[in-house]
Amino acid sequence: MNLPLGPESSPAALKTDPVQAARHLADLLRQTPEYEAFLKALLAVDNDPTVQQLSAEIRAHKMALQWGRDPDGQHTIELTRLELELGDLPAVNEYHRAEKNVSNLFRAVDETVSVEAGVEFAVNAEHSACACGG
Amino acid sequence: MELKEQIEAAARQLGQFLRQDDYVRTYLDALKETQTDPEASALEKQMHDVYEALIARQQAEEGLDGENILPFCKIRREAQNHPLISRRNDMLRLLRPYLSQIADEISLVLGADYTKLALPQ
Repeated sequence: MNLPLGPESSPAALKTDPVQAARHLADLLRQTPEYEAFLKALLAVDNDPTVQQLSAEIRAHKMALQWGRDPDGQHTIELTRLELELGDLPAVNEYHRAEKNVSNLFRAVDETVSVEAGVEFAVNAEHSACACGG
Repeated sequence: MELKEQIEAAARQLGQFLRQDDYVRTYLDALKETQTDPEASALEKQMHDVYEALIARQQAEEGLDGENILPFCKIRREAQNHPLISRRNDMLRLLRPYLSQIADEISLVLGADYTKLALPQ
């Protein structure tokens, strides 16, 4: 396959340059309906005032729990209620649906990269990947 | 060419370029050495079997204590100290920052974390 050449690309670089190949792959992924729907859903969640309000309350309860300030269990009860309420919002449901679709696409792509490379790509590229080896 | 086909081709190409990289080649050589060495592969199989048995017991809701886990720790230590396994693990450790750098390039173009989206939720 001939890769389209951008301003930073040169035929010589593209022959063996994984960075250019990664950018090209990302550019194609960005154009998929799955990714466009994901970005749209993400934006909708970010701009939804109810989501923002519930998220702020959830953060406050989580912080209280982290500091051990829940002697009567009220923070835990309220946190559970708010998380359920958040999960029921249409914008959040749509976001999860879009995320699942884009994730299915990316997993398939990642499997192709990994098979060709001979090493699992995303698993080992993850910044928090275990450093114990194996 | 359809977008999905272009993506498939681009993913294959990225994988092939990665395979040509020195870090990946060195890791794959070390991996092959481990897999073809009878002692190293037997050790890893044994470690895997002990681990699976522990998981099965845990899933059966058997209470596991330090005594139960000790044989696994012992064989894991033995495996980690095996020169070929140790070398392969070292090569993978060296490879990971490079793979992260490539994944970061994808994330940068996307505006979202590629690895987070490509890994099972």
